[in-house]
Amino acid sequence: MAGFQEDLFYSREHTWVRVDGNVATVGISDYAQEKLGELYSVELPEPDVQVEQDEPFGVIESSKAVAEIISPVSGEIISVNEDIVDDIGVINSDPYGAGWLVMVELRDLDELNNLLDAEEYREYVGEEAEIEE
Amino acid sequence: MRNEKAWRMLPRRVLRAAENMAIDEAVFRLNRREGLPPTLRFFGWDPPAVSLGYFQNTSREIDVEACRQAGIDIVRRPTGGKAVLHEHELTYSLSAAVDRPLFTGDILGTYRVISDCIAEALRRLGLAPEMASDGRSAAGTPLEAYCFAAPSRYELLVGGRKICGSAQVRTSGSFLQHGSLLIDIDPARTAAVMRVPAQGVAASTTTLREQLGRAIGADELARVLRGAFEDTLGIILVEEGLTEAEEELKQQLLAEKYGTDRWNMEGKYDPGAEEGGGAPSDC
Repeated sequence: MAGFQEDLFYSREHTWVRVDGNVATVGISDYAQEKLGELYSVELPEPDVQVEQDEPFGVIESSKAVAEIISPVSGEIISVNEDIVDDIGVINSDPYGAGWLVMVELRDLDELNNLLDAEEYREYVGEEAEIEE
Repeated sequence: MRNEKAWRMLPRRVLRAAENMAIDEAVFRLNRREGLPPTLRFFGWDPPAVSLGYFQNTSREIDVEACRQAGIDIVRRPTGGKAVLHEHELTYSLSAAVDRPLFTGDILGTYRVISDCIAEALRRLGLAPEMASDGRSAAGTPLEAYCFAAPSRYELLVGGRKICGSAQVRTSGSFLQHGSLLIDIDPARTAAVMRVPAQGVAASTTTLREQLGRAIGADELARVLRGAFEDTLGIILVEEGLTEAEEELKQQLLAEKYGTDRWNMEGKYDPGAEEGGGAPSDC
């Protein structure tokens, strides 16, 4: 059963966002990693690259599909999780923690209004799951 | 409003690898944006080609020199999965928005729906296909990089050997799945370009020619498949061409992506950074 964390924003493209000041940490949701299955590889942008809300910024491959990762926010990539390149399995095992993908310096905090909260995202994916405090 | 049961069927054509992939990606990219119906296409490859999965390393997975000497094109797909030699096969591709009732946003669900249609076609030809219920892995074996080495979940086997291999890409609410239904195979030729043992190819793969005991033409096979898709899904396939926007994007992808060594050999693509002044380059 997919997990959802209360303190995060979610996009309809199955990414999550944790906001700290004007920096957003971005990853893929537990629901998305479950649907993708065993992950094989991920391609992420370099730091300094500008990403746009609702535009792809990376590509992830699982045993059955290649999926583009659609950015939930706009801004500049300031950090990329290098650890997942060596051990992509952490996205499966800890999607909301060690499996984060990139940190983005937000260009427009108002864009967060376009995202879903945990409850709305849970309804969006139509799953019964407990919200982790 | 368009009839939800009416899907689009593109004309069956035999094209070079770069054009086939440019059409597949253009149709996939614009499907949702342009509000187009789910679109099915059957096609072939001339010259024969090896297609690589999105993330595969070209020189590690295939013998590039052997391909060139044999006149086999090399193209990188937009989809995941492993290397395939496209020669004696009918290839299908299907693009649709994932909010269509039949495609509920689930990768394996999409595989199952499409496999159901292809399985029905195989039954109409008198075969008894089985759907792989659990993925097996060829990891760690000499066949690791070869698509037909091991069936994934919902892929189709006849007599325990794989007859159809498929791959998928998803983005922003749409998916593209394409796959190969094997009409015939030359295990030695496949083995040479894939750098895998020929016995392994023969042991893991079967073909329509072998199973039917006769050669089947791509036209006949396409007719049977079309009927199986229509009846299994309760749809009508309406033959139409590409839209103007799709044609334009196809030409752009041909020039900037699938016609370039940069994408096919190195997996690198910079949208907008056209190479070769706009003319598709042969690779």
